Order: sequence, then C-alpha cells, then structure tokens
Amino acid sequence: MHGLFKWSSKWWPGVIPLVVLWGLAAWSSTATVEADLAARSNAALKDTVLDKRRISVDGRDVTFAANAFSEDGRLSAVASVEVVPGVRLVNDETRLVPEAKPFVWSAERDVVRVTLGGNAPLPASKSKLTEAAKAGLGGVEVADQMALARGAPPRFDTAALLLLDQIGKLKEGKITLTDNKVNLAGMARELGGREAVAAALKNLPDGYSIAANDIKAPPYVFQAYKDPVAVTLTLTGYVPDNNVHAALVAAAGRKFFSEKVVDNLKASIGAPSGFAAAVVPALGALSRLSTGTLVVSDREVKLSGDALYDAAAGQIRDGLGKDFPQGWQYKAEVTVKPAAAPVDPTVCQQLFSEILSKGKIRFESGKADIVPDSAGLLDRLIETAMRCPNATIEVAGHTDSDGEEAANQALSERRAQAVVDYLVRAGLPANRFTPIGYGSTQPLAGNESEDGKAQNRRIEFVVK
Amino acid sequence: MTVLATFFWGWLLGAALLGFCMGWIAVVHRAQGVSKVWMRWLALLAVALIAASFARIVPGRFGYWLDLFLIMFALYLVGCAIGSWLRDWVVSRSKPAS
Repeated sequence: MHGLFKWSSKWWPGVIPLVVLWGLAAWSSTATVEADLAARSNAALKDTVLDKRRISVDGRDVTFAANAFSEDGRLSAVASVEVVPGVRLVNDETRLVPEAKPFVWSAERDVVRVTLGGNAPLPASKSKLTEAAKAGLGGVEVADQMALARGAPPRFDTAALLLLDQIGKLKEGKITLTDNKVNLAGMARELGGREAVAAALKNLPDGYSIAANDIKAPPYVFQAYKDPVAVTLTLTGYVPDNNVHAALVAAAGRKFFSEKVVDNLKASIGAPSGFAAAVVPALGALSRLSTGTLVVSDREVKLSGDALYDAAAGQIRDGLGKDFPQGWQYKAEVTVKPAAAPVDPTVCQQLFSEILSKGKIRFESGKADIVPDSAGLLDRLIETAMRCPNATIEVAGHTDSDGEEAANQALSERRAQAVVDYLVRAGLPANRFTPIGYGSTQPLAGNESEDGKAQNRRIEFVVK
Repeated sequence: MTVLATFFWGWLLGAALLGFCMGWIAVVHRAQGVSKVWMRWLALLAVALIAASFARIVPGRFGYWLDLFLIMFALYLVGCAIGSWLRDWVVSRSKPAS
C-alpha cells in the first residue's frame, strides 16, 4: 500500500495524454449523445397526448416543453422523460393547454371551402373532425383552423360530428357551438334542407340546446317558358305535391291550346302559401304572350315576354296582380310584338280556321261567359283580325241539339255577341264584326254522342 | 453512468490502458514525484469536482464533459494502480533470480 502511494506521485505525466484523449472523446461524442437522448426521450413520450412538444438536449440535460391536457398527464410525461437512461437533468417547461371559457367551436361553409375554427379538446378529436369533414363533404376543401383548449363540454365529439353533418346540408353558413349552445345561420343547399337540419338537431346529446337556428331555405322556384319556335311550354322547378302538379299541368293544357307541355317539375316541400292560386293565373297571363318566361321565386312572380297587341300588354301588366293571394308580388316586363304584315282576307280566313281547329273558345256551361282559359286563343284571333283590317267578319255561334231550339238559338246569339264584345274591347272596330247565332241548325257532327255534341258547340269566324 | 460506460467503452478502455502504461512505467521511472502538499491540493480538487458532478450544478454540455472527464480519470487511476502493482510484482520476482 505504501508502494502504491509512492508510485502514485509519479503517475502525473500520463494525465497530459489523458486530457488530450478526454478532449477527443468530448469532441466526437457530444452530438451523438445528444441525438441519442433526444430520440430516446421522444420514444418515451410516444403514447403520451401532448401539444406543441419540443425536446432539446444540451449535453445530457433535456429541455422538455409541451402543452399537456391535464395535470396528471403533464406530471407523468415529465416523469417518463426523467427515467430515460442517460438523462441527467430535465428542465421542465411543460404547461397545461389553456382553458377556453366559453369553449367555442365553429364550422363555416362558403363557396369554396369549409373552415373548422375555434377549439378542439384533444388532437385526436381535432383530426377526427377534420377527417369527418373531408369524408362527409366529398371533395370540398376543408381548412382546419382549430386550436386546442381545455374546458370542452361532455360529449363534445358527438355533438360536433352531428353539427358537421349538418354543414353538408348548407350551401353557405356557419354553425357555432358555444359551450353547449348551438347557433346556426346560413342558407340550406336544397329545398327541405332547413327542415332536415332541424330534424337532425333533435339528436344532439343530452345537455346540448339550440340557441338560435337562422337557417334560411333556398328560394322556391317555379319556371315556365313558352317557346314559339318549338311550340312548347316547358315547366321546371318545384311544386308542393302531386295533386298541385297534376292541376298545374292540366291548367297548362287548357290554356296553351297549341303548345306541347314539357313537364320537368319536381315535388318538394317548402312552397309558399297560395302557390297554386298564384301560379294558375300567372300561367294564364303567359299563355297570352307570343313568347315569354314566367319565373315564380318564393312569393315573387316575374313575367316577361311579348304580347300580341297593345291592349293585351296593358291587360297583362295591370290585370294579373289582382288575382293573387295576399303577400304575393307581381312584376311584368311585357313588350308588344311587332305587328305582323297585313294579309288578304282569304289568308285571314285560313288563319282563323287553322287557329280554331287547334282550340275552341269555351264558355261557362249554359252561359255566354267566356272562360279565362280561352284568353290566349282569343288573343291569337284578335292578332289575326288585325292583319286584315278591311275584312268584315261574321262571328257565328253554334250549339248542340240539347234543350229547346229557341233557347239554343238565343244562347248561340249571346255567345257570338260575347265574342264580338271581347274583340271590340281589345280595340277592334265594332262595325267589322257581325254576331250571328245559328242555334243547332248547322251541326258538324251527329248529336247522338257526347263527342259529336262537343264538336257542334263552337264559334266560327267567317270572312265575308 | 452505465449507459455512458456502454456507449463509450472504447474511450474508457483507452483511458484505462493509458493508466496501465503509466503505472507500469512509474515503478522504475526516475522522474521527480509530486510533493505531498501538491497531492493534497490535487485530491481536494478531485473531491470538489466529484461533488460538483454529483450535485449536478454544472449545466448542459459542461456538465457532461465534467462527468466524462471524471470517469476517464477514475479509470486512468485504476489502470495506473494495476500497472504499478503488476510491474512491482514482476520486478520483485525477477530480483531473487538474478
């Protein structure tokens, strides 16, 4: 032992190469040690839920910064870094995620994207919501601007997923969840969407309630287009139900005597009240136009097109609004079609016959009152009469053989007179027309069948 | 420490071999030894460094380098002790033979 002490006084020269060796070891190993410890610390925290985790290693000292979602989670995260082999000290810079009060989450949809904003309670629910938005909205860009915060109400994920489902039913709008109160605003994508959203909101988890639901329905649109070239009437848009649908198509068939009705209507809820009562007279006004478009959007009726003559334009502009139910608005942009070239009386006769072969002037049963459905037909007859200003025209009334001959005679005369009155009101000179009643003396077909009788009840225009 | 030993066994073995060589030479070396006073001061310095290492008061990389130095130095001393003892044993065995 004494020898060892004696020899040790001569060990000092080796310290010089030892220091050199130490310098080399320190120079070459520091970065390796730091990288190794950082990797081990990150591995130790692999299963711990943290936000903004940052680990930096200086020598063997680990600086650990992170936002934890609970105090327990924070302490266990620090402890798991402390027990990583090789770690000398842990500089604990961890904090708790800030608590949001009130806890607000929102989903906003505009033309191009859906933006998720506000707070989410955990990274897992944040990614779950983003994924659900991407999956549920099919191709719409999803922008995730959610921050993380504590203080979410219970069953937040379920509620947020349900609300996210509703954003798909909106064209644009915003759904906000403030603690457990839901606010909705915007415009539904389709008719019935507003009602579907309201129904789905009944499934919100217990404790959640709706503070405001300001979702608007898209306009309820019905359109009719009269095309004089294709000789069609195209109906598009929505009708409240199948009964109204059938009634509208039937009314269009009566009013548009020569056009083929193209029916592209769809039944949908959400119609304004008095829909059929407004649309039927509006179709009547459209039938009087040479070419025109009828657009019914919610309670606003817009009619545009060309009337056949001046007086008709005035009647269409002023007359229609009066028939409408309360609260409906009417806008007419009716111009007058340029007058057609004058023609010989013989051509006029041909035109009259042609028009009257396609449709008939109809009267109330047993009376001399012209039904409103015949307005379009009469306008065509008036336009034709204007093209041969020098011709005198006999307006001949005919009946079937039902009832007394004297009564039929009188009815045919009154009906012929009613037509002449109508023509005069339209601006034609009264002296050009001679109303004559023939009763049932000039039948076109046998009076034995209903079909034959219907053919015999008629008004004829004869150019003299 | 165990992790450091497994991680840097090469450098530590180097320090121990260096110590072994120095210890081997020291037995027959005629150089001036360190005085007792100096030895005390150096021992005190060593104790202070060891205390600083255990108290972990030296931060960051310097703390790591200090630990590394102390381990290498400790192994050097162990190497020296083994080297000197072996050399002494070899020398004392050969003397009666001569």
